Amino acid sequence: MSMKPLHPMEPIEPGKLERLKRNYLVQAWLVLMLALFFGAALAGVHLELAPKIAANKTNETYVKIPEIILGSELAEELAQQGEALIVEPHTVAVEKEQRRIVYTIYEASYPDGKLAGWVAKSSGQGYADKIELLIGFTPSVDTLTGIFVLDQKETPGLGNKIITLDWRQQFSNLKTLQPIEVTKGGASDPNQVDAITGATISSRSVTGIVNNAVADLRGPLTAMANARGK
Amino acid sequence: MAVAPTPAERFIQGILPENPVYRQLLGLCPTLAVTNGLQAALTMAGAVAFVLFCANIVTSTIRHLLKPHLRIVIFTLIIATFVTITDRFLAAYMYGMSKLLGPYIPLIIVNCIIICRCEVCASRQSVFAAGADALGQATGFALALVSIAAVRELLGSGMLFSVQVLPESWPNWVIMILPPGAFMTLGLLVGAVNWFEQRRSEQAESERG
Amino acid sequence: MLYFTDIILIALGAALVNNFVLYYFVGICPFIGVSRRIDMAIGMGFAVTFVISIAALLSWTITTFILMPGAPLSKFVAGWFMPPDAAAKVDLTILSYVVYIFAIASSVQFVEMYVRRFYPSLYRSFGVFLPLITTNCAILFACLIIFSHIVGVDNPADVWDLGKSLTLAVFGGVGFTIAITIMAGIREELELCDVPQSLRGAGITLLVAGILAMAFMGFTGVDSGLKKAMTPSPVQAQQSSRE
Repeated sequence: MSMKPLHPMEPIEPGKLERLKRNYLVQAWLVLMLALFFGAALAGVHLELAPKIAANKTNETYVKIPEIILGSELAEELAQQGEALIVEPHTVAVEKEQRRIVYTIYEASYPDGKLAGWVAKSSGQGYADKIELLIGFTPSVDTLTGIFVLDQKETPGLGNKIITLDWRQQFSNLKTLQPIEVTKGGASDPNQVDAITGATISSRSVTGIVNNAVADLRGPLTAMANARGK
Repeated sequence: MAVAPTPAERFIQGILPENPVYRQLLGLCPTLAVTNGLQAALTMAGAVAFVLFCANIVTSTIRHLLKPHLRIVIFTLIIATFVTITDRFLAAYMYGMSKLLGPYIPLIIVNCIIICRCEVCASRQSVFAAGADALGQATGFALALVSIAAVRELLGSGMLFSVQVLPESWPNWVIMILPPGAFMTLGLLVGAVNWFEQRRSEQAESERG
Repeated sequence: MLYFTDIILIALGAALVNNFVLYYFVGICPFIGVSRRIDMAIGMGFAVTFVISIAALLSWTITTFILMPGAPLSKFVAGWFMPPDAAAKVDLTILSYVVYIFAIASSVQFVEMYVRRFYPSLYRSFGVFLPLITTNCAILFACLIIFSHIVGVDNPADVWDLGKSLTLAVFGGVGFTIAITIMAGIREELELCDVPQSLRGAGITLLVAGILAMAFMGFTGVDSGLKKAMTPSPVQAQQSSRE
């Protein structure tokens, strides 16, 4: 609100020196110098920090992978032994409803080379905004090992309970053959999860994202697992 | 203004008499958007303080070279550069926080506080006065952010700095963390500050009279 | 059809569900400063919508062709003095904030000059607001949202094209206009009310904005519901593909 309109320039008078003084470039020398100087400073910052930022972005996913595939206890045990899963990223493209959907898949194997499982990154519309999930599969792709919520903006206190371990744990050991259903008050069937009280839509959104990803990826992942087995 | 205020006076002025949020109502975007938790609020206050201080110092250093009709361009250039540096720095060293604050860090560029201080103070005063002014305004801004965030986090989730403070039986007022809570908390706090200010000036008047 | 669904969802999201003012808190300064009279509020709203669309057009073009990693124009220029594989990696995104703010500032200047020269009556109705708009967060915010949907998107199909970007901008502006006009209507009535002395001005405006924000929260979830209604369910899709 504090900005005042720029003063209009006065009319140009004759005289060469005067004209030179009023030349835009000469008037703007300070702007140009500052722009050059700041440009150099920004380039320096970029060279220094860009690798770190890129590493932060990949780490965000990578540190969660052992926990999703093995569960938190086994993952901690593995970390205490000083070992880590070897994670290799792939992309899988799926054609669906005339649209190409590209999934990022992380193939995790034990240090001895045995396949530990798969993690897929998937996202979809939640109640308030996009929800981004990591979904873990067993090596044979017939069972889910767990999910993790990377990003969400659901209602605090209600929908954002999807990030709690208690709720997420319901997804581990679910079979991938039939779609997961959301129930209210007591999941009884093996393919059901309980909705969060007061946040049925958020619960359904997460389940929907998982179901979509499972439906899209079961085929390709099984093929990749088989190819690896040979 | 007959006598230019000393640097110390400028510092004190920024904290309450000329508090950027409560008195001047400047920079309300971040004040409302990032105050649902104390950590986010403090990070934002730190980022604004850094940009404000650097921008004021640089502007004050080059104040004799400024041309009236190009000054806003130069202010914008300086501010945008420092905001970019802050943004990258946060993304590199505090990634979680940078993701949480999201677009509100780049939005510091159009935060009226900074361009207003460059225009009102830094382009006319010595480097020392400009620096003191920036520190005062930044402290005032930080105080405002922290006071709003404390109210919202405490009532909204019973926590301060993500540590449970109120007993578990406290029914979390979820609305305080949501957008309406931001507007209402700020509205009531602005009213409260006005009320105290009015009472103080009335008292001063009655003592004089 | 899917594209059409996306457009409708973006428009609805920007205008109502995630209203720029009442959900994202951008453009608060004019929302509180210029909302005393309805005609001024509408003028401000139109000015913002106009500038935001131009800024979105500029920022989408600049980001897609120059700033993003591997953008065609910067790749071409870098190709003159770099080996091709290094040129393809040129990443100018660090300049994005500086470039956006200057794109906004200069488009505001040009719009002001153009409108003053060719549409004097239009200029009289909302031209006075134009210089103020440069520091309006809503404009830069729209540019930043567009940026986040172009750079660093995992799935190439999700990258926004010009149509989606412009939809966000125009309907973001419409959302701003709706919010500021409602606010101005309420404030005109408020002048007849006995507001406590210390809450007059900004205090009561913010409290009213809080109630408005609460009302707009009622829109949350409309977009996800609408999306569900507009996309065929997997079972139906399978059936139709079998037939």
